Amino acid sequence: MIELIASGLVLASMYGLVAVGISLTWSSVGMLNLAQGFVFTAGGYVAFLFAQYMAKNFSIRDGVLLSLGVVLLGMIGSAIAGLVVGGLAFLPLHDRLNFPVRGLIATLAISIIGTQIFMLIFGPQSKPLPQIFGIKRFRIGEFSIAYGQVGTIVVATVVLLVVTLWMRRSRRGLQMRAMMMNPLGANMVGVSVRTTGMIALAISGALAGLASVLLGQIFFVSPTSGVQPLIVGLIISLAGGLGSMPGTVLAAVLLGFAEAVTARYTQQSFVPFVQFALVIAILTFRPRGLGGVLEDVRE
Amino acid sequence: MSLLEMREVSSGYGTMRVIHGLNFTIDPGERIGLVGLNGHGKTTLISTIVGMTGWQDGSIEFMGQQIGGRRSHGVGRNTPKIVRSGIAIAPQGDAIFPGLTVEENLASGAYTEGAWKTRKQRRDAILEVFPPLRTRLKQSAGTLSGGERRMVSVGRALMADAKLYLVDEPSLGLAPKISIGLVDALCKIDLGDGAMLIAEQNLPLLSGRCDRILGMHAGELKEDVGEAFGDIPPAAEM
Repeated sequence: MIELIASGLVLASMYGLVAVGISLTWSSVGMLNLAQGFVFTAGGYVAFLFAQYMAKNFSIRDGVLLSLGVVLLGMIGSAIAGLVVGGLAFLPLHDRLNFPVRGLIATLAISIIGTQIFMLIFGPQSKPLPQIFGIKRFRIGEFSIAYGQVGTIVVATVVLLVVTLWMRRSRRGLQMRAMMMNPLGANMVGVSVRTTGMIALAISGALAGLASVLLGQIFFVSPTSGVQPLIVGLIISLAGGLGSMPGTVLAAVLLGFAEAVTARYTQQSFVPFVQFALVIAILTFRPRGLGGVLEDVRE
Repeated sequence: MSLLEMREVSSGYGTMRVIHGLNFTIDPGERIGLVGLNGHGKTTLISTIVGMTGWQDGSIEFMGQQIGGRRSHGVGRNTPKIVRSGIAIAPQGDAIFPGLTVEENLASGAYTEGAWKTRKQRRDAILEVFPPLRTRLKQSAGTLSGGERRMVSVGRALMADAKLYLVDEPSLGLAPKISIGLVDALCKIDLGDGAMLIAEQNLPLLSGRCDRILGMHAGELKEDVGEAFGDIPPAAEM
């Protein structure tokens, strides 16, 4: 039972990070970022390069500093990838006609080209990341939970809380929420849509990078490792309601548990069916998603 | 030195020219009424000052800085910069943030770094001007009545650390009693060395309360206000 809860929450953490990023971009920039998978993978590779460099030049293969470095560089790498996506797909296009469709096509192109570039540089083989939380396990009675699982849940929760607080309390956070509600009005109080959009893309990127490093604890990094998180992140942000952090997190927890339970009692191949069925059910009863504050606000 | 100086300013949207070679200055401490009928360019004049028309041409100097010039693309791209340099706008039809609370809406008006630090004092000053908002601070702005929304919109502009306040049609769509209250509040505010431009269709609402009233007719300014209304008599005295 505890193992089931743990694996459900681990999945929820990773999906939550990616989905909150997608939701943030979607609601503030107005662009469905299909390149989020590319951004996700970029962080994983940057973290991998850092770990490889440390191992080769300093023979450091584990320890707190290396873990911290892997996490931070993963996040920075993905944030930069997010800015690249912004520079290519958002800045040149956002005040053109039909930006949502053009943005969709541009990010899809970045996603496909990016995957091929990773394939060229790193090859199709998967690359391992160091175990940042160690390989020990907690024992509770007859059950045991890996440090990695607990660490993933704690780190994801803390980071999402920080982002939520920042959005609610700070000047920059208010700027972001103002832009989600009414980009034109935001423009007229002195909020630059371009700057704010780039900030949103960088933050979304950093969240995806963190998810990438955390997922790297379970699966290796490969050129296509961003595809699955992108798809699940997209449907979660849809089910959670655009722009709603609590709704997105709730949807991530629901889908995480749905995956954990399905994988345990039936088989892994049924997981997508169950996930999509769940999302369709949610959207049938709440068309604006669970948190759904935005749909009637943003055009 | 005048606060705002416009020379030979034209602007419009696409192939349409709305403002025709306007010359116009605003001096510090002035409260100016801009009256005219629907579709004669009041809103476009305000949009031109902050760079939100489709294209524009001519010189606009604000506190000695050029904020105009010739431009035919990037609608609204310079607006945040112009606003941060000290021009606050209360746009026509509100453009408030419906999902944010009234308090957050007001705070967003104090977006510039200097104003942000004093946003609490600024908010209290706004609540003096618009007392009905006091009980609504924690309420989402989308749930307010039309009059309250307009107060939030105008209040948001007043929150800014600005020298020039542009208020576009504060009475639009409001009951006469409420719009009189709103314009009264606007006319009571101490501007110091700043200035305010109020665009309005309803001439009697402004007459006698502004330092200067200008008429706008077919994209040109008329010193004689009556001309702005052509053959149609201004709205009845209130």
